[in-house]
Amino acid sequence: MSWRHIVASVLLIGGCFLQVWAVLGLVVLRNAYDRLHCLGLAGYGALLMATAILVRQSFSLIGDKALVTGLVLVLFGPILAHTTARSLRIREHGDWRAGIERHQESEDQ
Amino acid sequence: MNEWEIAAAVLAGALLPCLGVCALAGVADGLVAMELAGTIVATVLMLLAEGLQRQPFIDLALTLAILAIVATLAIARLLEHDL
Repeated sequence: MSWRHIVASVLLIGGCFLQVWAVLGLVVLRNAYDRLHCLGLAGYGALLMATAILVRQSFSLIGDKALVTGLVLVLFGPILAHTTARSLRIREHGDWRAGIERHQESEDQ
Repeated sequence: MNEWEIAAAVLAGALLPCLGVCALAGVADGLVAMELAGTIVATVLMLLAEGLQRQPFIDLALTLAILAIVATLAIARLLEHDL
Protein backbone atom coordinates (compact mmCIF):
# COMPACT_ATOMS: atom_id res chain seq x y z
CA MET A 1 0.00 0.00 0.00
CA SER A 2 1.62 3.28 -1.13
CA TRP A 3 1.58 6.59 0.76
CA ARG A 4 -0.71 8.02 -1.91
CA HIS A 5 -3.30 5.36 -1.17
CA ILE A 6 -3.14 6.01 2.58
CA VAL A 7 -3.39 9.81 2.28
CA ALA A 8 -6.23 9.54 -0.25
CA SER A 9 -8.13 7.15 2.05
CA VAL A 10 -7.72 9.47 5.06
CA LEU A 11 -8.92 12.48 3.04
CA LEU A 12 -11.83 10.47 1.63
CA ILE A 13 -12.98 9.33 5.08
CA GLY A 14 -12.58 12.87 6.46
CA GLY A 15 -14.60 14.42 3.63
CA CYS A 16 -17.30 11.77 3.92
CA PHE A 17 -17.50 12.36 7.68
CA LEU A 18 -17.87 16.14 7.20
CA GLN A 19 -20.72 15.73 4.72
CA VAL A 20 -22.58 13.18 6.86
CA TRP A 21 -22.07 15.54 9.83
CA ALA A 22 -23.58 18.40 7.76
CA VAL A 23 -26.64 16.27 6.94
CA LEU A 24 -26.98 15.39 10.63
CA GLY A 25 -26.88 19.11 11.41
CA LEU A 26 -29.59 19.74 8.82
CA VAL A 27 -31.86 17.25 10.57
CA VAL A 28 -31.06 18.26 14.16
CA LEU A 29 -30.92 22.06 13.99
CA ARG A 30 -34.12 23.96 14.57
CA ASN A 31 -34.68 26.62 11.93
CA ALA A 32 -33.47 27.62 8.46
CA TYR A 33 -30.95 30.19 9.77
CA ASP A 34 -29.27 27.57 11.95
CA ARG A 35 -29.35 25.02 9.15
CA LEU A 36 -27.55 27.40 6.80
CA HIS A 37 -24.36 26.81 8.82
CA CYS A 38 -24.24 23.23 7.46
CA LEU A 39 -23.61 24.41 3.89
CA GLY A 40 -20.03 25.52 4.52
CA LEU A 41 -19.22 22.24 6.21
CA ALA A 42 -20.48 20.22 3.24
CA GLY A 43 -18.40 22.37 0.85
CA TYR A 44 -15.23 21.62 2.80
CA GLY A 45 -16.14 17.93 2.77
CA ALA A 46 -16.34 18.09 -1.02
CA LEU A 47 -12.96 19.84 -1.17
CA LEU A 48 -11.37 17.14 1.01
CA MET A 49 -12.69 14.43 -1.30
CA ALA A 50 -11.53 16.36 -4.37
CA THR A 51 -8.08 16.55 -2.77
CA ALA A 52 -8.24 12.78 -2.19
CA ILE A 53 -8.89 12.26 -5.91
CA LEU A 54 -6.05 14.65 -6.76
CA VAL A 55 -3.64 12.79 -4.48
CA ARG A 56 -4.64 9.48 -6.02
CA GLN A 57 -4.70 10.61 -9.68
CA SER A 58 -2.20 13.49 -9.64
CA PHE A 59 -3.00 16.27 -12.14
CA SER A 60 -5.09 14.25 -14.60
CA LEU A 61 -8.36 15.22 -16.30
CA ILE A 62 -10.45 13.82 -13.44
CA GLY A 63 -8.11 15.25 -10.76
CA ASP A 64 -8.12 18.78 -12.21
CA LYS A 65 -11.87 18.94 -12.62
CA ALA A 66 -12.46 17.43 -9.18
CA LEU A 67 -10.29 20.17 -7.68
CA VAL A 68 -12.22 22.87 -9.60
CA THR A 69 -15.53 21.35 -8.45
CA GLY A 70 -14.38 21.30 -4.82
CA LEU A 71 -13.12 24.89 -5.00
CA VAL A 72 -16.38 26.08 -6.61
CA LEU A 73 -18.40 24.45 -3.83
CA VAL A 74 -16.19 25.93 -1.08
CA LEU A 75 -16.01 29.44 -2.55
CA PHE A 76 -19.71 29.77 -3.36
CA GLY A 77 -21.01 28.10 -0.16
CA PRO A 78 -20.77 31.25 2.02
CA ILE A 79 -22.17 33.40 -0.82
CA LEU A 80 -25.19 31.10 -1.14
CA ALA A 81 -25.69 31.02 2.64
CA HIS A 82 -25.57 34.82 2.81
CA THR A 83 -27.93 35.26 -0.15
CA THR A 84 -30.39 32.74 1.26
CA ALA A 85 -30.37 34.34 4.71
CA ARG A 86 -30.91 37.77 3.15
CA SER A 87 -33.84 36.48 1.08
CA LEU A 88 -35.42 34.79 4.08
CA ARG A 89 -35.19 38.01 6.13
CA ILE A 90 -36.78 40.00 3.30
CA ARG A 91 -39.51 37.37 3.05
CA GLU A 92 -40.21 37.54 6.79
CA HIS A 93 -39.77 41.25 7.56
CA GLY A 94 -40.04 43.04 4.21
CA ASP A 95 -36.49 44.41 4.54
CA TRP A 96 -33.30 42.60 5.56
CA ARG A 97 -32.35 45.55 7.84
CA ALA A 98 -35.61 45.35 9.79
CA GLY A 99 -34.88 45.22 13.52
CA ILE A 100 -31.20 46.03 13.11
CA GLU A 101 -31.67 49.83 13.49
CA ARG A 102 -33.82 49.29 16.57
CA HIS A 103 -31.12 47.03 18.03
CA GLN A 104 -28.42 49.64 17.36
CA GLU A 105 -30.52 52.43 18.92
CA SER A 106 -31.05 50.39 22.09
CA GLU A 107 -27.29 49.77 22.25
CA ASP A 108 -26.52 53.49 21.84
CA GLN A 109 -28.85 54.47 24.70
CA MET B 1 -16.74 -2.39 -4.87
CA ASN B 2 -13.88 -0.01 -4.09
CA GLU B 3 -13.66 2.70 -1.41
CA TRP B 4 -14.82 5.47 -3.76
CA GLU B 5 -18.02 3.61 -4.58
CA ILE B 6 -18.64 2.88 -0.90
CA ALA B 7 -18.26 6.59 -0.06
CA ALA B 8 -20.61 7.45 -2.95
CA ALA B 9 -23.19 4.96 -1.60
CA VAL B 10 -22.94 6.43 1.93
CA LEU B 11 -23.43 9.96 0.61
CA ALA B 12 -26.31 8.83 -1.62
CA GLY B 13 -27.94 7.49 1.55
CA ALA B 14 -27.35 10.88 3.18
CA LEU B 15 -29.63 12.40 0.54
CA LEU B 16 -32.68 10.80 2.17
CA PRO B 17 -32.70 13.16 5.21
CA CYS B 18 -32.40 16.10 2.79
CA LEU B 19 -35.41 14.76 0.90
CA GLY B 20 -37.27 14.38 4.20
CA VAL B 21 -36.57 17.99 5.21
CA CYS B 22 -37.64 19.19 1.74
CA ALA B 23 -40.89 17.24 1.99
CA LEU B 24 -41.84 17.86 5.61
CA ALA B 25 -40.39 21.24 6.65
CA GLY B 26 -41.26 24.69 5.36
CA VAL B 27 -40.15 26.43 2.19
CA ALA B 28 -37.12 28.10 3.80
CA ASP B 29 -35.86 24.84 5.30
CA GLY B 30 -36.52 23.08 2.01
CA LEU B 31 -34.34 25.59 0.16
CA VAL B 32 -31.45 24.98 2.58
CA ALA B 33 -31.90 21.21 2.23
CA MET B 34 -31.89 21.57 -1.55
CA GLU B 35 -28.61 23.53 -1.43
CA LEU B 36 -27.03 20.83 0.71
CA ALA B 37 -28.38 18.09 -1.56
CA GLY B 38 -26.82 19.84 -4.59
CA THR B 39 -23.42 19.83 -2.91
CA ILE B 40 -23.76 16.15 -1.97
CA VAL B 41 -24.90 15.03 -5.43
CA ALA B 42 -21.98 16.88 -7.06
CA THR B 43 -19.65 15.07 -4.64
CA VAL B 44 -21.27 11.69 -5.38
CA LEU B 45 -20.74 12.22 -9.13
CA MET B 46 -17.12 13.19 -8.44
CA LEU B 47 -16.59 9.99 -6.44
CA LEU B 48 -18.27 7.85 -9.12
CA ALA B 49 -15.98 9.36 -11.76
CA GLU B 50 -12.97 8.21 -9.74
CA GLY B 51 -14.44 4.88 -8.62
CA LEU B 52 -15.67 3.79 -12.04
CA GLN B 53 -12.91 5.61 -13.98
CA ARG B 54 -15.55 7.29 -16.14
CA GLN B 55 -14.51 10.81 -17.14
CA PRO B 56 -18.00 12.05 -18.17
CA PHE B 57 -19.14 11.88 -14.53
CA ILE B 58 -16.62 14.55 -13.50
CA ASP B 59 -18.04 16.88 -16.18
CA LEU B 60 -21.49 16.23 -14.79
CA ALA B 61 -20.25 17.02 -11.25
CA LEU B 62 -18.73 20.34 -12.31
CA THR B 63 -21.80 21.29 -14.35
CA LEU B 64 -24.15 20.37 -11.51
CA ALA B 65 -22.11 22.35 -8.97
CA ILE B 66 -22.36 25.50 -11.11
CA LEU B 67 -26.02 25.00 -12.05
CA ALA B 68 -26.98 24.34 -8.41
CA ILE B 69 -25.45 27.70 -7.46
CA VAL B 70 -27.37 29.52 -10.19
CA ALA B 71 -30.62 27.70 -9.32
CA THR B 72 -30.26 28.49 -5.62
CA LEU B 73 -29.65 32.17 -6.32
CA ALA B 74 -32.73 32.28 -8.58
CA ILE B 75 -34.99 30.48 -6.11
CA ALA B 76 -33.74 32.61 -3.18
CA ARG B 77 -34.52 35.73 -5.21
CA LEU B 78 -38.01 34.42 -6.02
CA LEU B 79 -38.61 33.56 -2.36
CA GLU B 80 -38.16 37.19 -1.35
CA HIS B 81 -41.53 37.99 -2.88
CA ASP B 82 -43.44 35.01 -1.51
CA LEU B 83 -43.17 32.36 -4.22
